[in-house]
Amino acid sequence: MRSSYLAKFAAFGVAGALALTACSNSTTPAPTTGGNAAAPTSSTGGATPAGGGSGATYKIGFQGPLSGDNQQLGINEVNAVELAVEQANAAGDLGFTLELVKSDDVGLPDKAPAAAQTLLQDTAVMGVVGPSFSGATKAVGATYSEAQLALISPSATNATLTTSGWTAFHRIVPPDSVEGQQAADWLSTKAKTVYVVDDLSDYGKGVGDDVQKELESKGVTVTREGVDAKTTDYSAIAQTVASSGVEALFYGGYDAQASLFAQALKSAGFAGITVTGNGGKSSVFTEGAGDAGDGWYFSCGCLDATVAPAAAEFEKAYQAKFNTPSSTYSPEAYDAANAMISVIKDLASKGEVTRADVLAGVKALDYKGITTTIKFTETGEVEQQVINLYQQEDGVIKLLGPIADQK
Amino acid sequence: MLYLFSGLTRGSMYALIALGYTLVYGVLQLINFAHSEVFMSGAFASFIVVSAVVGEGQTPGWAVPLIFVLGLVTGGLTGACIAWGLERVAYRPLRRRGAPKLAFLISAIGMSFLLSALAGKLFNRFTNNQFPDYFNKDSVVFTVFGAQVRLIQLIIIVSALLMMLFLDRLVSGTKLGRSIRGVAEDAPTAALMGINIDKTISKTFVIGGALGGAAGFLFGTAFVFSNIMGFLPGVKAFAAAVLGGIGNIRGAMIGGLLLGIIEVLIPALPFIGTKWTDVVAFVVLVLVLVFRPTGILGEKLGRAA
Repeated sequence: MRSSYLAKFAAFGVAGALALTACSNSTTPAPTTGGNAAAPTSSTGGATPAGGGSGATYKIGFQGPLSGDNQQLGINEVNAVELAVEQANAAGDLGFTLELVKSDDVGLPDKAPAAAQTLLQDTAVMGVVGPSFSGATKAVGATYSEAQLALISPSATNATLTTSGWTAFHRIVPPDSVEGQQAADWLSTKAKTVYVVDDLSDYGKGVGDDVQKELESKGVTVTREGVDAKTTDYSAIAQTVASSGVEALFYGGYDAQASLFAQALKSAGFAGITVTGNGGKSSVFTEGAGDAGDGWYFSCGCLDATVAPAAAEFEKAYQAKFNTPSSTYSPEAYDAANAMISVIKDLASKGEVTRADVLAGVKALDYKGITTTIKFTETGEVEQQVINLYQQEDGVIKLLGPIADQK
Repeated sequence: MLYLFSGLTRGSMYALIALGYTLVYGVLQLINFAHSEVFMSGAFASFIVVSAVVGEGQTPGWAVPLIFVLGLVTGGLTGACIAWGLERVAYRPLRRRGAPKLAFLISAIGMSFLLSALAGKLFNRFTNNQFPDYFNKDSVVFTVFGAQVRLIQLIIIVSALLMMLFLDRLVSGTKLGRSIRGVAEDAPTAALMGINIDKTISKTFVIGGALGGAAGFLFGTAFVFSNIMGFLPGVKAFAAAVLGGIGNIRGAMIGGLLLGIIEVLIPALPFIGTKWTDVVAFVVLVLVLVFRPTGILGEKLGRAA
């Protein structure tokens, strides 16, 4: 009897050990030099005398959600970055090899520091596209700034991110304060009573606050409510919204939850205008919500590459490589990566590339991308800010145009 | 009234899961913390089977009840298998060695993490998986005092009540039920009376697991499911079991229904708000523990059932 138990436990232990080693293999980043051990870039301190010679390897990092609830947004972005890196290498005029290092933060503040460490410890990483999410960015903005590793986020939109005094953080999308304000201005012409619901995250609460403030300043009556993002049953809150008789609802939160809320609202019989911000606009929403998503509006400081003429070439390449159309924030991530690459390329042609130089280069950028001209203000905000309005029709999110022009 | 049916829907779900806690507590005087993952596994397994059967395209009306029953059965069977396995792997070896209670608790929590992580690895880590729409869940069946009762709510409440009724009969009226009550009352004496304790415990786990698995299917159909879905409903159901009196089957049912209703009604009051839902649920738990530690109906599976 006894020996059979021992055998069982031993088998269990071996299986467990195997599982653990498998995990650690897949999650631990390869130490500093990616495959090219002879490359001089592996020297420490970030000062890397590459000398512009061939054979050097520089890396750009990506930090965002590649698993979990909000992975779609991260995948939209990392694909575009991957495309940019591939194209840069294929062009053959870099003078060095460019590599992409992906670091998964699941979009969560508590996972972000570890994801940031992965990139910070890899001394060949010269700049980072990301983090994707505001909460995650809050958790690591200071760390990146201390290390002087430049960040260009394609999607972290919380207004306070650029007022925290971080030197490394830049973003190429307008902050929620601008988006929320413009969305609220538009909404105030449509409704006199609005329910604002947020998911209690940094992003959701931030945009909810901005919308509420602006609506109230326009004389709109606002009812405010918060619903935890882990909620699975939205029937109670949907019923509350429906029976309150408001004319419109604004939801501040991400796509997966927004789609559940949309379904619950539909079954509660809510007939008012429904609006959400950039976090809700994605294929996850359209697929999750189904018909319940039809009629929803999305405000987004983002560009729909499937319709924008400047992005046609990008869209073609993206579809060819990933076999799917690009989605929310893909064009922004593509631009962020290309802007970053242009800085590294410029520095490499002059001799050496350091993190501090890349950061200075990013601050001085004036790069014409497919979404906008990337030129940063002192605080890291992009100069040119356009908020677009989208609406779902028959299960597809369509661009209506800049929100300021909407009637 | 508007909220009552939402509350009952939630409540019956909690009640079904709570039964699993209560049954195991009754026979072992232990909280099986891996029960929430039994619930989760039921949702995933029935999802796989149901979506394989439904496939693409429209489901004919006559097939809907069949698919529903299929989902319940798959969820139940999977839950039963997992629970049986749990008892074998995480409980029986410890029991044979006469390990202290704390060891059981730790091994259950360990299994809970393992199963949750495994499901994430095997399937996915999205938190909003949905069952295919093989029937219109939201069609309104009837209206009571201005409250619309939707098909899915009705189905969940009715099937949960049926399962609870069945269990109540099983425990109070059959030979197996008598042996479960016997073990709960006094295990060594029950053994002297010729009851096989190991078998009885195994069967208890299987019954609790089947109910948990079926509840997983119901929960997934009504809301969404994921590899971490077990945790919160699991803890709530535990609270429900305590509320009704842990170890007491009817108590678990009443506790579950009550908790679901409280959870929906109180936050809807003015000045409280939906974000307080979970807080309210646990404040209720704390109040019960402070003022009536044995729950509404008192403990002991042996006595009350």
